[in-house]
Amino acid sequence: MRNCAKRIYLFLMVLFLYLPIFVLIVASFNDSKILGKWNGFTLEWYKQLFDNASIMNALRTTIVLALLASIIATVLGTLACITISKMKKSTKSIVVGITNIPMLNAEIVTALAFMLLFVGLGISLSFSTVLIAHVTFCIPYVVLNVLPKVSQMDNNMYEAALDLGATPFQAFYKVTLPEIMPGILSGFLMSFTMSIDDFIITHFTRGSGIDTLSTKIYTEVRKGIKPEMYALSTLLFVTVFVLLFLVNYGPKTKAKKSFTTLIFKNKVTVAISMCVVIIASVFGYNLLKDDKNYIGDVYVYNWGEYIDPAVIELFEERTGYKVHYEEFETNEEMYTIIAKGARTYDVICPSDYMVEKMIENELLAEIDYSNIPNISNIGTQYMNSAQGFDPGNKYCVPYCWGTVGIMYNKNMVDDEVNSWGILFNEKYEDNILMQASVRDAYCVALSYLGYSINTLNEDELKEATDLLVAQKPIVQAYVVDQVRDKMIKNAAALAVIYSGEAIYMQKENPDLEYVVPDEGSNVWIDGWVIPKDCQNKEAAEAWINFLCEPEIALMNFEYITYSTPNVAARELIEDEEIRNSQIAFPDESILSRCSVYNYLGKEGDTLYDYYWTMVGGAESD
Amino acid sequence: MGNKLIDLQGITKSYGKQMVLDDLNLYIRENEFLTLLGPSGCGKTTTLRIIGGFESPDKGRVVFDGQDITDLPPNKRHLNTVFQKYALFTHMTIAENIAFGLKIKNKSKAYIDDKIKYALKLVNLDGFENRMADSLSGGQQQRIAIARAIVNEPKVLLLDEPLGALDLKLRQDMQYELIRLKNELGITFVFVTHDQEEALTMSDTIVVMNQGYIQQVGTPEMIYNEPENAFVADFIGDSNIIPGTMIEDELVEFLGTKFRCVDKGFGNNKPVDVVIRPEDVELVAPEKGTIKGVVTHLIFKGVHYEMEVMAGGFEWLVQSTKMSPVGAEVGIKVDPFNIQIMNKPESEDEEAVGVDE
Ligand SMILES: Nc1ncnc2c1ncn2[C@@H]1O[C@H](COP(=O)(O)OP(=O)(O)O)[C@@H](O)[C@H]1O
Ligand SMILES: [Mg+2]
Repeated sequence: MRNCAKRIYLFLMVLFLYLPIFVLIVASFNDSKILGKWNGFTLEWYKQLFDNASIMNALRTTIVLALLASIIATVLGTLACITISKMKKSTKSIVVGITNIPMLNAEIVTALAFMLLFVGLGISLSFSTVLIAHVTFCIPYVVLNVLPKVSQMDNNMYEAALDLGATPFQAFYKVTLPEIMPGILSGFLMSFTMSIDDFIITHFTRGSGIDTLSTKIYTEVRKGIKPEMYALSTLLFVTVFVLLFLVNYGPKTKAKKSFTTLIFKNKVTVAISMCVVIIASVFGYNLLKDDKNYIGDVYVYNWGEYIDPAVIELFEERTGYKVHYEEFETNEEMYTIIAKGARTYDVICPSDYMVEKMIENELLAEIDYSNIPNISNIGTQYMNSAQGFDPGNKYCVPYCWGTVGIMYNKNMVDDEVNSWGILFNEKYEDNILMQASVRDAYCVALSYLGYSINTLNEDELKEATDLLVAQKPIVQAYVVDQVRDKMIKNAAALAVIYSGEAIYMQKENPDLEYVVPDEGSNVWIDGWVIPKDCQNKEAAEAWINFLCEPEIALMNFEYITYSTPNVAARELIEDEEIRNSQIAFPDESILSRCSVYNYLGKEGDTLYDYYWTMVGGAESD
Repeated sequence: MGNKLIDLQGITKSYGKQMVLDDLNLYIRENEFLTLLGPSGCGKTTTLRIIGGFESPDKGRVVFDGQDITDLPPNKRHLNTVFQKYALFTHMTIAENIAFGLKIKNKSKAYIDDKIKYALKLVNLDGFENRMADSLSGGQQQRIAIARAIVNEPKVLLLDEPLGALDLKLRQDMQYELIRLKNELGITFVFVTHDQEEALTMSDTIVVMNQGYIQQVGTPEMIYNEPENAFVADFIGDSNIIPGTMIEDELVEFLGTKFRCVDKGFGNNKPVDVVIRPEDVELVAPEKGTIKGVVTHLIFKGVHYEMEVMAGGFEWLVQSTKMSPVGAEVGIKVDPFNIQIMNKPESEDEEAVGVDE
């Protein structure tokens, strides 16, 4: 009876521990994009995964990084252990304590510390900085595994080797090293696992164009989870699982012992195969650059899911530039990276108010329009709107634009939707999704109250804040990227959303409808800018010019579904319904109700952030 | 026994402020079984390590076969060590362990195989070639450590408390085994132990050490029967050590009573220490003894009885095959031959000072 209860308990525990992973693994073989609906077994996602060049590139980076980091860490860590073991007891325990602390330290702290260090020393982030960071955080794991072996080893063993005629080098190589080899091997495997596993430190120390699997998954997932990510996560899980299994169950069994001796006896083979793997990956890495066509690199920093990947390939083919493409999630995140000079990019796509802020802080270079003849394809009305944040159109070429409005599900909402007020209706408790961004949240409240969305009047802001705070209990969540999935899956009735998303969502779920409320809203423009510390301005301008080609703009429009300011591209849209869509291209009456966000200055930002903290929208979800 | 093979000349060694060896002089002859005997911490291992080349002396020279090897690294010395904890290589098989030194010297495979066979046979462990070191018992590991050392045909084998970790029965077996080995190989053994019985059983020569100084060098018989000072007497077996005065040659007074003895040359009325082994004390009828006493303790020890007798204000330790019950009045008698006279150190410290050979 008690045994039975024990078993049930154990079963439940394992279930809780592994259920999420199990679901993930099942999903990776599910022939349906929607979770929770089994459509049969497929390997399609794995196939797509291996066909995805940027993921394969990230895989290569991950392996090269993990191998280099763990090899360097293993060598350094092992030498450290030998030194430590020769120390006096008191010094020893202090040193061991010091090496242990980084393992217990919050990873985010380590990550920030590294970033600060590199940026402070004026080292711009690159592959080397990630490598240095990885080596550093791996060393404690090597010490953890090797030191006990070194201490355990009878000190006389080394002397016995000398006694039998070995030189100090032979004694170390033939006796000390093999004796502590199990520890070294565990340390190496653990470092390798930790390096593969790491996200936070990599995220903060990587240079532009460097992506590992974990950072890649992170950026991909922000756009809404694609099933290939299930496949990738499954593979990652299995790899780490196998490695940890080796680390934990290896050393205790006899099998491992002979495994170690085996490895040691065949050290030549092992060394050669290791070299082959490294050389192959590094070589493969460089193959990309050895393209005959290759004339240079361009580092692009764009919003997630904000370009048709085929466009990037076309650009590379057409111009010979290798594109290093990276994504950001919020304007503020991008701004920090650029303003701190942590990473340098050649061309970036911020939003209107952020362009204004970057101009004000002298972060941008003027665009040479003689290199962008395709600028003529951009409608003058949009160039004029852009003057609102970029007077004289000196710095920014509009790329996408749209409105902020309400998306609702016709089956779930029976009232007429024409006012922001519906978002404050308790009838829809737990069915409302808000945007987790200061300006968008305040756009809703301020517009509803009839105030300017760029107000700096504290009373008005306070009123808007009270409104948002009062609304919070009926809000299902403040979200960033999950709006799409939730609305498509009927998981919410009402959501604040950008017009561009609305078109895509309507295609997936015809019950959805988009409205710009009568009180007015925000019209936003995202555009390409070139930062001052750009390394290849020519390439950046070629990039912008390329995106202004009507066919290319059309491809992007069809992929992103956000409205394009490229009038020539709009003419090319075949589907009449879309070409005349009120969501994609609203008529003047709707646009006239909307205004752009202005940069509010440092104090304005602080003010908004202050009130935003009270709402706590950023923390929910 | 042959010539001086190893000569330690004025060896001084300290760790930090702690002086471990102070001006140690000692020679070891060819084919000798020499034992360094002394309490834990007296510097035996340090001496051995200096011979082996694992420590270098602060002062002094190590001469081997007429050559100064003070600065020669261990791998260049023609001697091998059997370490206290065996120090077998755990990642190798027994055969690989034994072959280690030979492989370093690039011996042929056939030669190595022969040597492994021969060495395993010598230590009675034939057929153990492919076992791993940690699957062996302590005694077996011990023998492998010896086999690993002797295949290199060293002129000297250094053994640091090789039997210390073994249980009593095994230890006794191994003692005979080592003596047999030494006779078969005909090489010099330098053996370290803190066990006086072991030293007395096995050695040709015993070097008694204390606090970094040599106390006495001699054959087991000399060390046992004629300890040169109270430390040696006390350390080698049980003894009654009694302060006394040398009245004249062949007459000593202690516990207020005069005893005849055979020692001469201490001078007249000189303070000395008197050593009497417990088995040399005769218990007789009270009136027949030199002094009278009362039995206070009695223990049966199998071969003999051990008694404590209070006589002349001193607690005598007595071993005898005849029993006297507790409370019995007895007389104590000692044959002059069995009274050993030793110079009295002038201070506590001098107890540890080196005694000239
Ligand atoms: N490496 C060392 N560092 C400091 N002190 C040591 C070292 N080795 C030995 N000693 C000290 O030297 C003294 C003699 O040690 P040792 O030769 O090992 O004695 P034994 O072998 O007779 O027990 C001891 O007090 C010991 O603590
Ligand atoms: Mg010792």
